[in-house]
Amino acid sequence: MSSRILPDFDLLLPQSIPEAVELLSTHRERITVMAGGTDVMVAMKFAQSPAKLPEFVMSLENVPGLGYVLFDPEKGLRIGAKATVAELLAQPDVKRHYRALWHAAQTFATGQVRNTATVLGNLLRASPAGDCSCAIYAIGGVVVLHGASGRREVDIDDFWLSYGVTARLPDELAVELILPPPAAGSRSAFKRMTRTSEDLAKLNVAVRLEMEGNTCVDARLAMGCVAPTPLRLTKTETLLKGHELTPEVLQRVAASVPWEISPIDDKRSTAEYRKQVSGVLLKRAIQDACGAA
Amino acid sequence: MKNRDITLHINGEEYRLNVAVNRTLLDVLRDELGMTETKYGCGTGECGACTVVVEGKAINSCLTLAATMDGKRIATVAGRADFGRLDHIQQAFVDEAAIQCGYCTPGMVMKTASLLATNPDPSEAEIRHALEGNICRCTGYEKIVKAVKKAAQTMPGRAVAVEPCKEVVQ
Repeated sequence: MSSRILPDFDLLLPQSIPEAVELLSTHRERITVMAGGTDVMVAMKFAQSPAKLPEFVMSLENVPGLGYVLFDPEKGLRIGAKATVAELLAQPDVKRHYRALWHAAQTFATGQVRNTATVLGNLLRASPAGDCSCAIYAIGGVVVLHGASGRREVDIDDFWLSYGVTARLPDELAVELILPPPAAGSRSAFKRMTRTSEDLAKLNVAVRLEMEGNTCVDARLAMGCVAPTPLRLTKTETLLKGHELTPEVLQRVAASVPWEISPIDDKRSTAEYRKQVSGVLLKRAIQDACGAA
Repeated sequence: MKNRDITLHINGEEYRLNVAVNRTLLDVLRDELGMTETKYGCGTGECGACTVVVEGKAINSCLTLAATMDGKRIATVAGRADFGRLDHIQQAFVDEAAIQCGYCTPGMVMKTASLLATNPDPSEAEIRHALEGNICRCTGYEKIVKAVKKAAQTMPGRAVAVEPCKEVVQ
């Protein structure tokens, strides 16, 4: 374990999606897939045991045509597996229609990491602290996987199974993420708390609200760093749906959050602190989303 | 195949190399090519000392596998000086005394270069946002931010009011 020396592995550089899928079918769990590499490289440098090290690293560097961020008002936003966080930020429709994701991407890590790290990589890392993951969970969407037996879509609600584990099968390649098209009364916001800007979040939250006037018709609330995976606050959502956003409703919503989360003590914060501030941060995100119109 | 043949274009020069696949771009620059101007700091993409510009984008060379960089154009801080004459960014760091121990400076200069290439007139907030991935443990960042502002003002080709040269009195 060293931040300087990488373990021994062999590098696979497929030239196409079918070739990548074939390699995955052959080597399965022995492969770690790498797009930007900002997570994979650190994980290899600090692997806790040799058993956790991959035999093969499969880089997507030479697979063409996966670096897109495409917006269509009817179909939504398509983000290719090699699209970096910086490339997401460079697409003006993201800021206009997916504000929570834009804000999460903007505060994500550092400029150098944003230039390399991919949006899909953040989902596939399956960390409860992922900023883009949190925003995407609130917005909703599907991850498209290509495997030996074909293509399938997994709803983001079913994508994270436990810490570091996703619904992607060992022989599948995640090729893109599709976010739903923006609805008329839809608005979103993202907030995070951390020590310095480049630190991982100690708490992050994203909301997507469907509003009619001041009444919330539908809501998706996501919170990070409070469970083994990013968490949907489904019980708290029911306190919003069908209600006018009065100070009393917001107070009830904020009070409900600590009952729905199970944070832990770690080096970035404590469970107690996270419980204390979680409701306030959610309330501010809701207010932010509504203020943004 | 645990080694690969790659070609790197570093500061305008072509290098044909055979690299072990588990070597980072930083390893190859420093240990195999002797280009020690790019620094090793944290090894985990947080401090920015290893920042180089690849195809116009500032990245952490400690998190980049050299074997995936085949054919890429890479710029390091040494490529900015022209036969020992510092460029406007390096000179701004000297003029503003934005260097103490100097270890973070190569990364700071390269990040500044990539910022000014896309945003030639950044605000202080934009400068601080751009430099959030470059840690300096000596200064309070004030002088570094000033140096970036000065580098923007002194960028070649920029139309600025220039004081007329004073006559040299023999």
